Amino acid sequence: MRITGTPPGDAPRLQHAAGFHSSPDHLVGQLLPLARAALGRGEAVALALAPDTETALRDALGTADGLHPLGPPAEAGSGQTVAVARARELRELTRTAGPVSVLGEHRSDLDGPDGSFWTEFDAAVNVALAELPVRMTCFFPEMPLHLCVLDGARDNHPQLLVDGEVRPNPRHRAPRDVLAAYPVAPPVLLGVPDLTVAFQSWELQEVRRAVRDIAGAAGFTDDRVEDVVLAVNEVATNAVEHGGPHAELHVWATGGGLVCEVHDTGALADPLPGMASPHPSEPRGRGLWISRQVCDLLHVWSDDRGTHVRVRAAP
Amino acid sequence: MTVLQDATPVSHACTIPVSDEQLWEMTATYLAEGMAAGERVLYFDDGRAGSLLQRLDDDRVPYRSAMRSGQFGIVPSTVTRALITGSPGELIAALDAVVTETLEQGYGSVRVMGDGSYGLEHDGGATMIDYESRLDTVLGPRPGRMLCAFDRGRYPEDVLQRLRAVHRHEIVAPAIYDDSLLRLTAPAPSTVRVAGEIDHSNRPRIRRVLDAALDEALRSHSSSAEITLDLASLRFLDVAGAVSLVHAAEEFPSTHRLVLTGVRSGVLRLLDRCGAPFADQLRIEPRLPPPDDDLHGDDPDDGDPHGDDPDDATTDEP
Repeated sequence: MRITGTPPGDAPRLQHAAGFHSSPDHLVGQLLPLARAALGRGEAVALALAPDTETALRDALGTADGLHPLGPPAEAGSGQTVAVARARELRELTRTAGPVSVLGEHRSDLDGPDGSFWTEFDAAVNVALAELPVRMTCFFPEMPLHLCVLDGARDNHPQLLVDGEVRPNPRHRAPRDVLAAYPVAPPVLLGVPDLTVAFQSWELQEVRRAVRDIAGAAGFTDDRVEDVVLAVNEVATNAVEHGGPHAELHVWATGGGLVCEVHDTGALADPLPGMASPHPSEPRGRGLWISRQVCDLLHVWSDDRGTHVRVRAAP
Repeated sequence: MTVLQDATPVSHACTIPVSDEQLWEMTATYLAEGMAAGERVLYFDDGRAGSLLQRLDDDRVPYRSAMRSGQFGIVPSTVTRALITGSPGELIAALDAVVTETLEQGYGSVRVMGDGSYGLEHDGGATMIDYESRLDTVLGPRPGRMLCAFDRGRYPEDVLQRLRAVHRHEIVAPAIYDDSLLRLTAPAPSTVRVAGEIDHSNRPRIRRVLDAALDEALRSHSSSAEITLDLASLRFLDVAGAVSLVHAAEEFPSTHRLVLTGVRSGVLRLLDRCGAPFADQLRIEPRLPPPDDDLHGDDPDDGDPHGDDPDDATTDEP
């Protein structure tokens, strides 16, 4: 994949609206006019809907032409990772099809322990999709199991869909403020690692060697080994550059590939680092962005002990 | 003790590389010169021949055809260790036999290099020192050459000094920079060879070396409008390093160009992701398949026993 430049100044940027529904019929009743309007404008319509909703919408439209179902989220539990994957799909789609309308739906199976997945996902969407000509509408049930889902939705979306009309959302706040107000649950701990490497800034080659050896033994191709070594190196470089002199690498070799965590004792300045495609002239912030592109999961979180990054990669 | 930069004129010399990169640079250069000159070439391995072959590939030395013809051979670790742990008399006799066999095969002379580090483990290098002091009696009158490499990382200082004392010649290979992770050399004017890994610990060096090369090119009338970084032996480049190469090219005066040669596929993918395709003053030449690889090569039937085919005999090394 090559870096895309910023779209021309007059190109539409992300519109990100929240809508609410009281029943499946109410949901489809709101999706239908949005889909018709987008198809009428000649836009592609990308769908991130539950299977039943998607079927009902397609039946109501009487056609599947112009509809692009997006892949199911492969890494439930990391809103930032799912947002990166969505951005990747939509960047490709907008490149070939022009402006895209996205219709999405809250799905309780992705809630995790407390529903904070959605708060992180929508905050990350605001950063990762900011430069894309995408009109995205996310629907939430009026009474979700975890009420924090609604709080996050009402703060994250710059627009609201009310009575079929998109209006500015007076409650909208920047991603950093939303995540400060509604902390995201840390990921589930993974137990004792297969390998631990403590390192400082001049010992990054030890980090690379450890990852190279384990990925090679786990059956990764040479190109894939290089990608994963690069990704972990960038995370480890950030740790010793910004986090503090001492950092630690933990590695787990699992049946499905490799999981690495890098822990440092520093504070996280940007809660969603490496989400946006960096401008070619911008020297900083590219390492983590590239790491997010080559890994299946890259999840950053922080607590009172420091900053933590988990990376997962399949062969 | 004479200090030289070129090992070819002397029959028996030592060298004391400061890093693995320097070790493989010197080993590959020495053996490639022998192959190009039509000599028989032997490398006594002790488990690290993979690094040597990789460096020969980086240098585009057609060692595969030389191996197929029997001109170039890698002696297995078991044999190397048996020789090192035998008596000095046995070693001298074995080397003498190698020279005789070489002449019988029709070659004019033999060139030997090897990994003797097991000698340290065996008896602290005592046998090796004894052996080295007698080598001149074999190599002096007979057509054989040997370069003995003792790397600083493996040999203790006192052993190094004693080994140095039993060699009449020492070969040195100057570098612009060598921190044992990254080695920078200047094989030709306006050209810097980059070997090893570039990361957070040594990244600013590259920019400094590029700035110096550009400065020199701008001062001198005759020098090239291209600054070349030979990246054939660059095995890792981090993202900030790739970005700094792209930015360096963008900041070049419009009269000059940055050329990256021998770029490996992983480094190439990263440069692509870091804006290299949009940098007008940057030219990238990807690494080519080996010159004599059966799978990709252009001359799979090359059976020339003396490797004196002019196409095969060229290497990029000075």
